[in-house]
Formats: sequence, C-alpha cells, structure tokens
Amino acid sequence: MSEYLDPTDSVAVPRKTAPRPSSLDGKTVTLLDISKAKGDHLLDRIEELLRERARPKAIVRKRKPTFARPAPDELRREIVGATDVLIEALAD
Amino acid sequence: MSLADPELTADAIEELYARGVTDGLPVVPPTRERVDRAVAAAGRDAAELVALVPPNYGRATVEKIAVNAVMAGCRPDYIPVVIAAVEAVCDDAFDLHGVSATTNAPAPLVVVNGPLRGTLEVNCGAGVFGPGWRANATIGRALRLVCVNVGGAIPGVVSMSTLAHPGRYTYCIGEHEEASPWESLAVEHGFARGHSTVAVLAADAPLGVYDQRSRVPEDLLATIAASMAVIEHHKMTHWGDTLLVFSPEHAAIVGDAGWTKADVRRWLWERLRRPVRELLPGKDGGDGLPEHVLRKFKDPAHDDTPVPKFRAPENIKILVAGGTAGRFSAIVPGWTFSKGSALVFRQIRTR
Repeated sequence: MSEYLDPTDSVAVPRKTAPRPSSLDGKTVTLLDISKAKGDHLLDRIEELLRERARPKAIVRKRKPTFARPAPDELRREIVGATDVLIEALAD
Repeated sequence: MSLADPELTADAIEELYARGVTDGLPVVPPTRERVDRAVAAAGRDAAELVALVPPNYGRATVEKIAVNAVMAGCRPDYIPVVIAAVEAVCDDAFDLHGVSATTNAPAPLVVVNGPLRGTLEVNCGAGVFGPGWRANATIGRALRLVCVNVGGAIPGVVSMSTLAHPGRYTYCIGEHEEASPWESLAVEHGFARGHSTVAVLAADAPLGVYDQRSRVPEDLLATIAASMAVIEHHKMTHWGDTLLVFSPEHAAIVGDAGWTKADVRRWLWERLRRPVRELLPGKDGGDGLPEHVLRKFKDPAHDDTPVPKFRAPENIKILVAGGTAGRFSAIVPGWTFSKGSALVFRQIRTR
C-alpha cells in the first residue's frame, strides 16, 4: 500500500507443506487423532488399509488433548522428531 | 491526493476492498495522519508489540492495531479499548486459534465495564446489541479486522465457520451498571470500581428470552433455564462460560427479592441438570453424551445420575444491559468446550 498504511502483518510468511513421499514403504507413519468424535474409527480403518497396502516401518498413534486447541508443543516435538509421515483425522 | 475529494475517497475505499483487508463494508482509509492520531491517543510507542495474533501469530503492534482501528472507524480515544481487547483475545485462555479456525460460529464479544464505558459512550442501554453507537460499532469491528488482517483469520480460507453470525462484523456492549442490583461483571471478577475493563467471550449470537409475566425469581429463572438448556443442542453437557444478560426489569425481579448473582447461578446450574438416560445419542436426536462419558455408566439407558449443562455454576456469567423498559433478557452462549475458550478480562490502560 503506497498511500495507506498496511493493516496486515507483512512479516508473516505463508507456510509451505512438506514434500510428499513417493512411497510409504519403510516409513514411520503417525496417525494423529485430534479428539473429535469418531476420529479414532477413521484412523483405525486407515491403519488397517496402510498395513494391507503398504509396508511401513511403523505406525504410531497419537492424540491431541482437545480439538479446540492447537497440538501442545511437546506433542509436536514428539511427532516431528520421530515420523516421516503424519496423517491427521478430523472426523465428526 | 486529497482525501477531502469524495471521488478519490471512493476510489480509496474500492482499492482497500480489492486488497482483501476489509469486512466487506467500506473502511476509513488509514492515512499516516489518521494512524498517527490514533497511536498518540494510545499513549504508547507505535512499535510496541501488544500481542502475537493466532492463528498466523502476526505481530499486533500498537501501530498495526491503530491502522485497523482507523479503518474500522474508531475515534482515537477508543484505541486503548481496542488494544485491551486484542490483548484479551490473544491470552492463551481465550484460544483464539480455535475461535478463528473452527467450523462453529463464535465471534469475540467485547463487554466494557467501568468509567470509560460512559466517557466513550459505549451503549449499554436500549438496543445494546444493535446499531447506532459509534463505539460499539467500531470497537468490535476493529477487533475483527485485527483478527483477520494480523491474525490471518480470512473467512473461507482459514476461518472455516460453517455459518458464522452477524456479530463477526462487530460485537461490543457496555454493562448497564447503574441499572443493576448487583456488582458489575468486572468488579465480581476482582477489578476495582474505578477501573475500566474489557471482557471477551468467544460467543454465539444472543438468544432473546421473552418473559412478560414472571414476578418472582423462580418463575423468571425457570423460563430462562429452559432457553439455556438448548445451547448448542438440548443434550449438550459440561458447557463452559456463557453470558446471561438480564435486562434491567428482569434483573429487578431477581435483585428486589434479595437474590445474589451466586444464588441465580446455583439455581440455574441445579435446574439445568438432566439424568444420563435422557442424554443418550440416538434418543430424541442423534447427538448426545460422548462415548467416553457413556462408558462411565453401566446401564446408561436407565441411569438417573444428573449430568450438568454447565461444568460449574461459575460458568454462568451474569451482567445487566439493555433499555430500562422491557421484560426481555438474552443468553449469549460461549464457544466453551472443556479445555477450550473461556471469558478473559483485561484492564484498559490509558496514559
């Protein structure tokens, strides 16, 4: 904005998504339940399908304390340090 | 370019709309001169960081807040109120990340208490939730613009509310302290009478309660309780902070009978409990008690254990507002799941 002051925070940069893996074989996959009703049903089925169709090194299940808030930092650190792929279930 | 020229002002309004920084209504062009006046009224350094605004954690400096407040149409002397409201919604207890991103419909409601309510002419009387008062219209609007422009809560992109509600344009009221039989919301929460404060609640639209005929507290509160029972849905339980806005006439019925706010809260909380067997999912509607709660009962279909609508009586927050004629009150449901958002206060600092 040349004549007017900018009401946005121009410092904030859009975040990029991580590169997608070409295969799930040999990867550690984390399934994150955000604590919405029946999210675990969806992730149970996804876990079944992953075991049927791919050869992941491990499938790890994690759960947010509440869907109403972002994941706590500690949980994020646990996931980031130990997984190749993250699948998050919204459900309802 | 002179902003006194109506044609150019119209162009400025179009340009700002095209940049996606408005709420869809025309905004006041944030010229350096106007913003400087607003910053001066704040009495704080323009570069001072007030808060990081979720979900993008943009930097809300005094100047950024002033730019958005100017656009919203605020008078410079409203700026301290807007700054306090930004501080309040960015408190972790408010959970602005969730409020701004949820598919549910909350908008931050700002309640102004204390001497500044009168000085700034924040409406607390007739038509309190409605249009006609600059302070109410623009303070709430400024907060919304900060949430979008600094916080990144762009509707349909980051802010995914299915329905939202008109309070997302502006949602700001004063408490009609002079017409209340009780201490104000702010004093009740530990602030001194001489202090001015904002309280923010992640709130649904107000639900009016009509009761012309009750003359004793028990009758009036029974009417109000029945309307509170359907917050979110009729089987929602363990709900959190919610505002009960008594009109002066309704407040007098309860206050004249000697009931305190604590008495009202306790009565409503007890009344708003239902047995487990009436709260089952699939009975009188698909929704109901969540699985992790149902698991606690051996035979939920026949269990009489009372389950409260609100987690505690203290979650029912009471204030008085509105015109002195009319037997209407309003319930303003919070978006207040367990571990979610809560009512947050901030003192308004003026220098």
